[in-house]
Amino acid sequence: MTSPGKPYAQPLSMDTVDLARLQFAITAGAHFLFVALTLGLATLLAVVQTRATFGNSPVHLRMTRFWGQLYIINYAMGIVTGLVMEFQLGLSWSGLTDYAGDVFGSALAIETLMAFFIESTFLGLWIFGWNKLNRWAHLALIWIVTLTAYASAFWIMVANGFLQNPVGHVLEGGRMRMADFGAMVANPAAQVAFWHVVTAGMVVGGFFMAGVSAYHLRRRTSDQDVFRKSLRIGMGVALPAVFATATSGGLGFQTMQPAKAAAWSRDAEELAAAQAEMVAAHGPGDYLPPAGWVQASGTTMLLLFALMMYFLLPSCLLMLFRPVVREFRLWHWVTTLMIPVPFVAMLAGWAFREFGRQPWTVYGLLTTSDAMSPVSAGQMRFSVVAFFTVFAVLIAVNTWLLARHARRGPGAVSLGDRPIEAPVPAPTF
Amino acid sequence: MEIFILAFFALGYLVLAGADIGVGMALPYLGRSAAERREVIASIAPFFLGNEVWLVATAGVLAGLFPHLESVLLTGNHSVVVVLLLAWVVRDMGLWLRGRMPGARWQAFWDGATVAGSWGLALSWGLLLGNVLLGITGPFAVLPALVVTVLFGTHGLTFAALRLRGELRARAAVLSGGAGEGRTYALTSAALVTVGALAGLRLPLDPGSAGTVLVPVVLTMMPLLVAAQAWVWWTFRHRVTGPSYL
Repeated sequence: MTSPGKPYAQPLSMDTVDLARLQFAITAGAHFLFVALTLGLATLLAVVQTRATFGNSPVHLRMTRFWGQLYIINYAMGIVTGLVMEFQLGLSWSGLTDYAGDVFGSALAIETLMAFFIESTFLGLWIFGWNKLNRWAHLALIWIVTLTAYASAFWIMVANGFLQNPVGHVLEGGRMRMADFGAMVANPAAQVAFWHVVTAGMVVGGFFMAGVSAYHLRRRTSDQDVFRKSLRIGMGVALPAVFATATSGGLGFQTMQPAKAAAWSRDAEELAAAQAEMVAAHGPGDYLPPAGWVQASGTTMLLLFALMMYFLLPSCLLMLFRPVVREFRLWHWVTTLMIPVPFVAMLAGWAFREFGRQPWTVYGLLTTSDAMSPVSAGQMRFSVVAFFTVFAVLIAVNTWLLARHARRGPGAVSLGDRPIEAPVPAPTF
Repeated sequence: MEIFILAFFALGYLVLAGADIGVGMALPYLGRSAAERREVIASIAPFFLGNEVWLVATAGVLAGLFPHLESVLLTGNHSVVVVLLLAWVVRDMGLWLRGRMPGARWQAFWDGATVAGSWGLALSWGLLLGNVLLGITGPFAVLPALVVTVLFGTHGLTFAALRLRGELRARAAVLSGGAGEGRTYALTSAALVTVGALAGLRLPLDPGSAGTVLVPVVLTMMPLLVAAQAWVWWTFRHRVTGPSYL
């Protein structure tokens, strides 16, 4: 292994490193699009099902089934990209696992067992146990699924926070060893980012719910009651969530690495200082992130935040008036058109965070080229093309399917419409 | 203790998910019409999500407790693992999407994805296990791969025989002959565990240094995880009587 901290000391072909980064970006980007909606929609779904269960309310039951079906279509895409993510580090980044696996691998291990495992097990029970389980048990399941989705986000941000700002470890013979698990978990670069991601997920979920509802209100489809309520829930959640996202994002700026901050502010002096500091610590090399990407993605995120905020402030007033909610078609149109905006903002924020960390995988300790697995350019080309093709097709199919089911409304939902399997007294085991 | 944890999740995956992979492989044989195929899929529907996470957990345990083994295993078998992941994704999408649109062609297409993905998954497991166990690469690696694939398929049939009724159950029981369905399932499970355990013994099983923190956490979690899964098994312990959500 090359010694960490000597960037490009043993350069792999840059092509291969770029391909590996592209592959990770495709997988993580595809994953992030769908899990962002999962995080937000699961929460809203749990709240709606709680109303349906406690109030015995048929409207809320219809809402649960409708949004639940969209949630499941979305979740399926989140899980298949998620399991590729889980293997991605060992496949393409064995330099990272060899060097830092004893520390940050713990966060991944806890994520799979405490979150992924329980989330999937109970989601299966929630889907297939509809009308079969006791309704209180069924309600408990969706809450567990929601909380484990948060736990998942938490431990992934602990792992990511460690790469951004490595704490809680010691170096021993060229490898990291865990020194302080608590410090790794309490890492501000992880904590702040977790709240940022979770609140941004609520923005995504809120806009989605409001946008789909506005479509049905504009088209005057049946189930106006379902969509009036849903529109209000969506917007009512998105507004505070946008402010919470901005607040946690603002705090995040304080946990940024000096080079990322300098690239963002385009301050030549700060950039030179960050570079000089790294050269003094690690020897000659280029230690600055790609400033153009950092600025473009950061600016996109902030502009879209402004757009969402200025849209939501008047909208949350408008939604208080029933005639407006029923009749104001231009507003319905705009609300539906806003659905993609938080998704783009989310991806831009992620690009801002990750581009800004380059050329490091573990900031200040392990460069991206040193983190790569010793695989050939041919192997990497094959896997990039294969994953890209499959994910592109699946994203297209699933987005189309989401749109179709969203348009067709609650009347066409098959989730939970009858006992899935009528129980008969013939035990298998 | 680290090795026990790894073996628990890896072997658990082979037995549990091995069954639903095998049912996916046998789908064209078991289900001759669209309605029959849907009923066959209902036999694994409530389980496959909870089964495949055993492999996700195995990957997590590798990342946390055996980071070096993780990179040796995955980087050393890069292309096989990529194919395995792709087959997994295609198969899952087949299962998730088949029932989301009416149309016979839509369902036939995604049933095809389920079958192709299940075969791809079994074959790449065969290549991976064959490589670890016997160190065979190149064209001859196909032979152990086929043996493992057949094992997955047989295991799937025995599971289907336990879950289905009538004609479908009779088709699934074709290999078990007069032996009891439960006993046949136990036999194929034992065979998969044996292959998995023998392959495991050939791996460089030296744990990393995170065990002091991680092992107690995982051991505390394990009864909870098993209980969660047991709830699923108990809820769906009856034979399939009709189509499921998928």
